[in-house]
Amino acid sequence: MAINTQIKNPAQKQIDPNKVLRFTKGERLSHWVHAIAFFVLLFTGLGVLSTFFQPAMLGVGGIQVARLIHRGVAVVFVVVVGLMFFVGNPRYHWEWLKSVFNFTRADLQHVTAFPKEFFGAHGTYPPQDKYNGGEKINSLITIFGSVFITLSGMVMWFATSFPPGLVRWAYPVHDLSMIMMTAATIGHMYLCLLHPDSNPALAGMINGYVSTKFARSHHAKWYDRVKDEQNNS
Amino acid sequence: MTRKMVFVDTSKCTGCKACDVACKEWNELPAEKTHLITSYQTQKDFTPKTWTYMTFIEKYENQKMNFLMRKAQCFHCAEAACLKACSSNAISKTDSGYVVIDHDKCIGCGYCEENCPFGVPKADQANKKYYKCTGCIERVENNLKPACVHTCQPGALEFGERVVLLGQAKKRLTEVQKTNPKAQIYGEKEMGGTTFLYLLLDRPEVYGLPANPTIPLSLTLWKDVIQPVGGIAVGGAGAAVAVGVLANLLRGNYRSSEDDSNNHANS
Repeated sequence: MAINTQIKNPAQKQIDPNKVLRFTKGERLSHWVHAIAFFVLLFTGLGVLSTFFQPAMLGVGGIQVARLIHRGVAVVFVVVVGLMFFVGNPRYHWEWLKSVFNFTRADLQHVTAFPKEFFGAHGTYPPQDKYNGGEKINSLITIFGSVFITLSGMVMWFATSFPPGLVRWAYPVHDLSMIMMTAATIGHMYLCLLHPDSNPALAGMINGYVSTKFARSHHAKWYDRVKDEQNNS
Repeated sequence: MTRKMVFVDTSKCTGCKACDVACKEWNELPAEKTHLITSYQTQKDFTPKTWTYMTFIEKYENQKMNFLMRKAQCFHCAEAACLKACSSNAISKTDSGYVVIDHDKCIGCGYCEENCPFGVPKADQANKKYYKCTGCIERVENNLKPACVHTCQPGALEFGERVVLLGQAKKRLTEVQKTNPKAQIYGEKEMGGTTFLYLLLDRPEVYGLPANPTIPLSLTLWKDVIQPVGGIAVGGAGAAVAVGVLANLLRGNYRSSEDDSNNHANS
């Protein structure tokens, strides 16, 4: 598969005036490589975590095969997504990083109001940027979870090269990272698949575009900026 | 079966390594290529095929050399870190105090080896399973002594009821302390009380043993806090989603989601 993420000016690619580009090809590729690898890693990892899940490993040829898959996919999980920050058009990856580490007052207001919305009611919060407060927290869990699960995983993989005192700590760190990311993933999937108000966002991660209506109502600050950039270009 | 004990009296040990050979013979373990490590020691560590070996330390005091010899094998801890760490419920403890690995269940994850304060279990890289001293559980359960105890000529190894042998060990200690004031019992309290209990002639550190072996804090945190609390957290996320779906259903949000997804203006 050719990795062509060169989108010089995404705004020019807009064909439908009722749609706005939310995620470039590169961003979507990173998201889906991360997501698919995460689920494969979660499945194969659960086989080692607990005897409850061990019988399910017969589906991939047994626990030893599952352990091999776990290591192989771990490399994809780390290397492919890591590379996306440097090849193609990594600008949006870095913008995402910068954005999620800039947790504003508006984000906090979103997060405190969001539980109501989560359960189907209406939450009131100020206009949100490209990533709202909840998305930033999900991103932070993903970032820190991925970093810690990678570091602890490397220590576990190459255990003989590290002192036992460090390897012993890698186990709880690996599990804790997995638990945080799994809990976040459950919420994330609910919002994109089963939450009627947030569900339109899914299109942005599939074909890149969301409706202007959705953009205006959920990410007004971002939408206004994109419109400004378009008008000024 | 009552709690058993093997008393390893290092003051009587001559370092003949017959225990090593008897273990190999009874357990049908092949000989491995060895080389000189230090002094008379030819085995550096446990392997999946070497479950017991002799360690030798040459200790110089007042221009006189003394051998500190110790038969190394699994301690069979009452509070075994390996058992707690095992991912696959493959390690169990018998009433007699033996810690044994079920090789049908073992998947070779290595959590036992990393968490054992003595680094005892070792993996067979070919079949991805961990091996260690069984304490000759099958002999013991048939009223035989473990192979190493059976063969020991100088009587450095003794097998019997823990309550009886522990008293005997303490009596022996007072005697040995007359000539070796630093002598001490190792394994009475350590790891909840070990089945292989030692009379050492010096501090455990001198033998390369941890002075205070414990279940690692990381292991307790992992198994008793992170895993159960994490399970609840993941379950909680799932429950929140179920409630969320139900709430959206009851509010009729799914029916109208097509047309009113944009009514929700926040600005």
